[in-house]
Amino acid sequence: MAHDPRREDYQRLALRFACSLDGADPAAAARAFAGFGRRFQQDRDALPQSDADRAFHLVAMAAEVVDYRLPFAVGAQADRLIARGKALLDEALSLDPLCWDALRMRSSSEAPSIEERYRLLADRAEEVRASCEAARDEALRALDGERAALGGELALRPWWRWLATLAEEALICGHNHAAARAAERLLACDPSDSCDVRFTLAYALAKLEDERGLEELAARYATLSPTRAGDAWLALARMALAHRRCDYAKASEQVGWLIDSYPGAAGVLLRQTELPDGEFSRLRVAPFSEDELVIAVSEGIVLLQEGTDRRGAGVLGEWLIRETARRDPAAWRTLRREAPDGRGRGDEAS
Amino acid sequence: MNAWDELVERCAERRREKIGPLSDEAFAELRLAVREQPTAFVDDPAEEALLIVARALDAYRAKTLGDDLLDDDAYERARRQRLGLLARACREAAEVDEGCLDARLLEALAADAEPDELLGRLIALEREAGRRGGAPRTGTDDAWGDVWYRPRLRLRAAVARTCLDTARYRMAASAAESVIATSPGDPLGARHTYALALARLEDEAGFDQLDARFSRHGNPWSHLARTLLLFKLDRMSAARRALRGYDELCQGGAYALLRPTYVETYLPDRPEAAPGSFEESTFAVREAEPIIADTPDFINWAQGHDWLVASAERFARERGLDW
Repeated sequence: MAHDPRREDYQRLALRFACSLDGADPAAAARAFAGFGRRFQQDRDALPQSDADRAFHLVAMAAEVVDYRLPFAVGAQADRLIARGKALLDEALSLDPLCWDALRMRSSSEAPSIEERYRLLADRAEEVRASCEAARDEALRALDGERAALGGELALRPWWRWLATLAEEALICGHNHAAARAAERLLACDPSDSCDVRFTLAYALAKLEDERGLEELAARYATLSPTRAGDAWLALARMALAHRRCDYAKASEQVGWLIDSYPGAAGVLLRQTELPDGEFSRLRVAPFSEDELVIAVSEGIVLLQEGTDRRGAGVLGEWLIRETARRDPAAWRTLRREAPDGRGRGDEAS
Repeated sequence: MNAWDELVERCAERRREKIGPLSDEAFAELRLAVREQPTAFVDDPAEEALLIVARALDAYRAKTLGDDLLDDDAYERARRQRLGLLARACREAAEVDEGCLDARLLEALAADAEPDELLGRLIALEREAGRRGGAPRTGTDDAWGDVWYRPRLRLRAAVARTCLDTARYRMAASAAESVIATSPGDPLGARHTYALALARLEDEAGFDQLDARFSRHGNPWSHLARTLLLFKLDRMSAARRALRGYDELCQGGAYALLRPTYVETYLPDRPEAAPGSFEESTFAVREAEPIIADTPDFINWAQGHDWLVASAERFARERGLDW
């Protein structure tokens, strides 16, 4: 489950609203709370909130713009959305300089290189942790029961997302141990892995060719993700490791599993499209949907495109294309009709 | 690979086996006689095949001499043609002696296939060679001393390099390890492949052990590998010092890194070059290329050091190279 900024925005205000009703007559409070959803939708500004809440609302709006609308926009419209997203984040930061989500999202377009973005995320990590933990302590002091649990978690989530982005950036930059470290750090404070950082961890372990580490991670799925024993990330990481030890039968098994588990898998595995990562968090998609595989493959470019191969998709990428075409010749033919010159890889990205 | 030297060595040894024990002086005389006219001593299909290989390599190398004068298309045509001729000669050699591993290795390399496909052929070749048997002769500390075993070492070193090229770093490391375990003097330089693989795997302890095993004698591969390793481990000031060492200790290292040039496929092994020479630096950068590409901002970071850029520029000026 990826984080949902709108839901989180709702939770923040609902919690504050509930607290504001304390001491009121229970019947009146219940009536007032029944109207909360409508007021949240229609008259949000009139609800009790802090500057941090307002800033987070702007972050949620920015996430909507850059993560969910920008990918479908072209030309001038895309430029407008980018400017809008940036303005929303700037405004969020002017309301709340400690709005780590806004700072983190803004760093993606402002850092001059991915390495410098990684550097910024790594260098400020301790500050972010301290700030979020202080907010959590404050919530735990002020609230009790379920409210304390929710308030505490809401306070920590920006720190979790910071670590998740740090892990992902480290992976892209080739700091694989650093990626694994950030991921493990996040799992230690978010044991149900609400950020799905285990996906990034699986790829970092595959990059390090740490077979044992990857299988240990798979064994931890029982606690990290009780409802899902496997996913595209784990399968692609296992496929990469099998291919790297020239165990083509085992690598092929994983391709078979992907094709059986995801609708439209063959087309996705043939195209290997690279998409920009979600800025707020990994994009929300349904488990075992085609979109989920698209994201897993896009993040997996770090594995697919490694090594020398003149055909362009990388050693593992080319193998995956051949293997998928062998298993599903019809999908291969369809794709060739759509993009006779090649595979259409990167079409969406360009 | 110096095929003629190995041919002479093999013919002399074979002759000695036939005529019985010889004093050292007599064997030295015999060797001189063989060197004078090797073809006269070739009387076994194995050496006959090696002779074909030696001539084919000479012809191939002679044809590379005019490359500088060709434009890209003409170069590509000339290259394909000479690789084709080399492959054909090696097939002939393999027909004379199927067990001529050098001919088989060269044929596979000259096919100029994608590295992944090449690796498949080399592994098949290793299996076949393994079935034919032939452990290094006992009594030598270093299997390189057994001239009949050298083709196996060359093949193994080529496997290690091809693994590195196809992003199989553990396999590259274990193939390189087996080369230096049987041939600790490592004239083939498998340790260089090993060092790069360990850097990519971010294995600092392994890298340090390897470095110690070769008495910390630095070379362009180890300096570049150390820089990459520390950069990947996010130890930036140590990485900067390593980059400085690479620049100071490897001739033209900065230039090789910032202006990588095309390096021809090794046929069958890394060409000999003077230790610490510019040529070695270009080899090291070429071999590290997949790892550098996997570390997207490494070159940017290196380029951010003015002294490195100045050093590269100075080298280009001195050598009359493009900058």
